[in-house]
Amino acid sequence: MSPEEPPPVSRRALLRSGVAAALGAGLAGCGFLPEDRNAFGDPDRPIDVKADGDLVYFNWADFVAPAVFDGFEKEYGVKVIQSNFDSMEGMAAKLNAGNRYDIIFPTAKWAQRLAEGRRLRRIDHSRLRHADAVFGKYRYFADPWYDRRSAHTVPFTMYKTGIGWRKDRIGDDLTGSWKDLWNARAEGQVFVLDDRDEVLGMAALKLGLDIDTADERDLARITATLQSLRPRLRGFSSDSYNNLLNGNAAMTQAWSGDMAAMLGQAKDPSVLGFEVAREGAPINSDCYAIPANARHPGTAMLFIDYMLRPENVRKNIRYIGYPMPVGGSEDVYASIVKPFPQCLVSPDDLKADLFFRNASSEGEQARDTAWTHVKAG
Amino acid sequence: MAQRTPSGALRDRRGRSASGTRLWTWLMLPGTLWMTGFLIASLILVATLALGTTDPLGNPRFGFNFANIAAMADPAYRIVLLRSLGFALIACAVCLVVAYPVAYTIALHGGRFKNLLIAAIVVPFFANYLVRMYGWSVVLSDGGPVLKALRAVGLADAHTKILQSGVGVIAGLVYGFIVFMIIPLYAALERMDLSLIEAGRDLYGGPLRTFFFVTLPATRQGAAAGAVLVFLPAMGDFVSAQLMGGPNQIMIGNLIQDKFFQGQNWPLGSALTMLMMAVLFIGMLGYLRRTRKDEAEAAR
Repeated sequence: MSPEEPPPVSRRALLRSGVAAALGAGLAGCGFLPEDRNAFGDPDRPIDVKADGDLVYFNWADFVAPAVFDGFEKEYGVKVIQSNFDSMEGMAAKLNAGNRYDIIFPTAKWAQRLAEGRRLRRIDHSRLRHADAVFGKYRYFADPWYDRRSAHTVPFTMYKTGIGWRKDRIGDDLTGSWKDLWNARAEGQVFVLDDRDEVLGMAALKLGLDIDTADERDLARITATLQSLRPRLRGFSSDSYNNLLNGNAAMTQAWSGDMAAMLGQAKDPSVLGFEVAREGAPINSDCYAIPANARHPGTAMLFIDYMLRPENVRKNIRYIGYPMPVGGSEDVYASIVKPFPQCLVSPDDLKADLFFRNASSEGEQARDTAWTHVKAG
Repeated sequence: MAQRTPSGALRDRRGRSASGTRLWTWLMLPGTLWMTGFLIASLILVATLALGTTDPLGNPRFGFNFANIAAMADPAYRIVLLRSLGFALIACAVCLVVAYPVAYTIALHGGRFKNLLIAAIVVPFFANYLVRMYGWSVVLSDGGPVLKALRAVGLADAHTKILQSGVGVIAGLVYGFIVFMIIPLYAALERMDLSLIEAGRDLYGGPLRTFFFVTLPATRQGAAAGAVLVFLPAMGDFVSAQLMGGPNQIMIGNLIQDKFFQGQNWPLGSALTMLMMAVLFIGMLGYLRRTRKDEAEAAR
């Protein structure tokens, strides 16, 4: 080797610089951590309601009728740029990564987290022409627990949790209680949702406890109750719709929206049943919200108002099979779910207020541990 | 020994010059960067996060507390970890038993169809694993075609089920990862010097004795490589248990996935990941020791 030639890079040096790069990249990963709360200006400043660009839309897949999108694009001369999430956690991760959307659809629990984190723009209801059909008829949403006076949200859909079953295998009538999941005839063919809150909440209701309890003694009783169900259980699955249709489940804990969708798919809907328990049915809702870093909040406001027009509400209800808290739309939903009247969500159902709420960090941890024990056995 | 090594490259390196060495070193750079960027960096991230906490929004926060590590003492995790270990080992054994004859037949009797046969095995694996498993869960469901057919011919009754059982989960794991066993076995058999078998016969070994005392030992490195390639992903798998398993088949991968998604507790999920990796690492140490011994023996 001639002296002026630089020495070849040794493998060791290469590895060393690699480790340095890895540490750097690892630390860069902290980018998803703390962030300036008001990085995008004061989220409370008013939104100028006018088309200010294309709508960047972020929701579950297939949750708005395509015809409604087309109409919106044509009327306001903007495009709807769609993207989808498959879980609330996935949605939060995208928002935390700094992605910018104009409209998102969090559940009540997540709406509270986002609003408290000052991640949502304030929505002035007086600027929405159709707001009264929502907040006038469904008073519950005028001041819901998750968002004081619905200052950052407008409710979108509602659903509740009950029991779906195969009448051809179990019989026509159940007793209308969560105890039905322990029905001897369904033994070995029962599914519960693969969802911590729903399963702990179901046992809490059966025992007459608060559905959000994080109390150690309550959780011990809940775990014991669920242990007694475990030998009869075939699985944890949120795919209730397919489990009932393909026969794996004779009975399953199920969301009303899935049951309504199943009616359209079943060859013979008369063999299927859906009931809600008298001990109480957990209830939930999704809502419209505008992230604090939205580029086109004006278009987002126009979109919310457009979606609330009676004809669009009807189109969407027919398309997705979920009821919406919009006065005057109840008959459309009732006609879709005629065989399962229990799918309807009335203002009285809302009053029972069986929403899954956010717990403290320690509370979440305790519930999480209980869920691990229930699942791992 | 007439070794059929495909690597002409190796031979070139023997007569290497200084500039040749430098070229090779630089060619390692993209791979090294890739591995450090995406493997080691994420490992460091996971290891650090295991000491972290979550904020009220459910976002992970770095910290320095050992609560997540202490939580690993929960017996629930031990049961699930042992179960995963068992499932992965059984899946490995089944893969070996099923894959060996397949690889043997193709390598020694495949003739000019060898490549075609290997392609026929590999091509279905281009479809996403999750999609294939979802397909199986429909096919094997109680109202699905398989059980319907079995019931029609009287081989199953109304209570027979395939899904939500240990057999279902292991079958899923075997189906998902068997190709990783077939390929290294095929490579080992293909590379094996056939005159060894002839020598075995010449020494009055019957077909079975020759197989067990000549062919099998000559290809055990392929089997060991295949076992590792099947065992590692099977141990961490959650899809099979999710779609084919019931409440008593939950694996460690399912719990980890739960912590990251449903529980939104990334730090606890990270701690569980580290626990699983520790178990895998111990297993790998055993494997590395074994192969080193083999190499030393071969060099003698």
